[in-house]
Amino acid sequence: MSDLVDTLINLQIFLFVGLLFWLYFKDFDGDDNSDD
Amino acid sequence: MNNNETGDQRGSPETPVSSQKSAFASPLLILALLITGVIAIWGLIDPAGLSEIAGRLVHIQFTSRAWFIMAAVSFMLFLSMWLALSKYGKIKLGQDDDEPEFSTVSWLSMLFAAGMGVGLLFWGTAEPLTHYALIEQYRDPRESAGIALFLTNFHWGLHAWAIYALTGLVIAYFGFRRGTPSLIGAPIVDIFGPNRVASTVGWLSNLLAIVAIAIGVGGSIAMGVFQVKDGIDALFGLKNTGMALTMAVFVVLCLSYFPPLVVDLSTGMAKLSNAAMATAGGLMIFVLIAGPTHYLMGGIVQAVGEYFGGVWVHGFRTFTFMDEEIANWFQSWTLTYMVWWIAWAPFVGVFIARISRGRTIREFVVGVIFVPTAFSILWFGVFGGAGFYETLQNHLPIMDVVKSNVSGVTFYVLQNFPLPGLTIALVILAAFLFIVTSVVSAAFVLGMFSTEGDLNPSVKVKLSWGVILGALGLVMILSGSIEAVKSIIALGSLPFVFVVLLLVVCLLKALKKEQPA
Repeated sequence: MSDLVDTLINLQIFLFVGLLFWLYFKDFDGDDNSDD
Repeated sequence: MNNNETGDQRGSPETPVSSQKSAFASPLLILALLITGVIAIWGLIDPAGLSEIAGRLVHIQFTSRAWFIMAAVSFMLFLSMWLALSKYGKIKLGQDDDEPEFSTVSWLSMLFAAGMGVGLLFWGTAEPLTHYALIEQYRDPRESAGIALFLTNFHWGLHAWAIYALTGLVIAYFGFRRGTPSLIGAPIVDIFGPNRVASTVGWLSNLLAIVAIAIGVGGSIAMGVFQVKDGIDALFGLKNTGMALTMAVFVVLCLSYFPPLVVDLSTGMAKLSNAAMATAGGLMIFVLIAGPTHYLMGGIVQAVGEYFGGVWVHGFRTFTFMDEEIANWFQSWTLTYMVWWIAWAPFVGVFIARISRGRTIREFVVGVIFVPTAFSILWFGVFGGAGFYETLQNHLPIMDVVKSNVSGVTFYVLQNFPLPGLTIALVILAAFLFIVTSVVSAAFVLGMFSTEGDLNPSVKVKLSWGVILGALGLVMILSGSIEAVKSIIALGSLPFVFVVLLLVVCLLKALKKEQPA
């Protein structure tokens, strides 16, 4: 397997994990779901 | 298909308006059927080509993503345990005054039977012995048996059920407490939507779920049919029965699973699950008592200690520094299993969510993770231990059977125990009931998905899915390319690692707003 494919797959994982953190900490209450 | 009566007999306020239409008006369903159908036809026309391409892609994905898969499943296990122990454990999956719909025994039996039934029967003896064949090349044979049991328990234990538990927890929490449809994508829309991006991601998640469930259950049908056929061969001493007997088993299976689709879930499913579990449990107790009890109990006690002592570390083991043979084993067993559980997570998760209304998060997590794991350890301790006894003590050539006919290993071992006719018949019966249970559950879940989260999909919708699942199973039986299908399942379910983690973020964000007493 080429290193490029490996790098791209892992880059995608890193970006996804970063996205998860961003989604977790970003406040979406302005859109809906605001119970309080 | 004329389906004007789809909405009959459902006065529930949760019934979505869209489910009043024909299920086949859904673009989601049509696309899912198209994808599944193309894969099935491809497998039928060119099984070798499909197998090669799927195998190559899976190898690339597994090589690059192994660390992430292991880290993700370990994270899921620790997170679910933290949720159970934290203040959030008191939160009910439903309104605060909701009570559980099923008794605890029936609940545990249903979720376990739906999750792993056929696989346990298939691999009970074969998997520990298969690992043993590899490990004994590296370690002392006596030590190898213990390691083989540990690895088997790892594959079927806490990590597997944590994947199911978290997925089910998300669906149950959002469905029963926040009133979203029981769909994989619903929490995403609930937390991040409504907007186009959230709706698209939610829609894609639902599509992936339907495809993964349909293909997974199709493969399971084929695997179960082959095992029942091997059992009948062993029971009556038949040889070269070939495809005729296989097809006969398949037809009887189809005739058996259609009636339960007509009966209401709460009665039909509970009875089937209880019958399957009682048969399997009775079989296990019989082998334990009638077999070398001290040997099997010794193996079980050792397995319990080794499992709970090593499982936490092993969850992070990626075998990065080992040779190629071990690396290949790691991919074809550990990673395949973990991804396999993820593929089944939307099916099992939605189903256990459906039967868990009114239970607390703590009750849910403990029930879903620990009880089936304990049963798995007992199961493999008995059937794996029986296999080791025949190999190490009686020096029977079981390893040859393992290499030549995996689905026949259990029957080979049972033939050397008391009352082989009875035990083999019980394995056949249990395998049969487990397949029926799985197909009925899958038809229900797929019916729910295709009607946008209706908790009581109509009989017609469930029957339609029963036909499709049977057709998929038939294609896989005829094509004989179960290995290729497994690779496709692995490929199709890899995105679910991401979906499940996204769902976990949804759950954590929602829980942050809860103020449990």
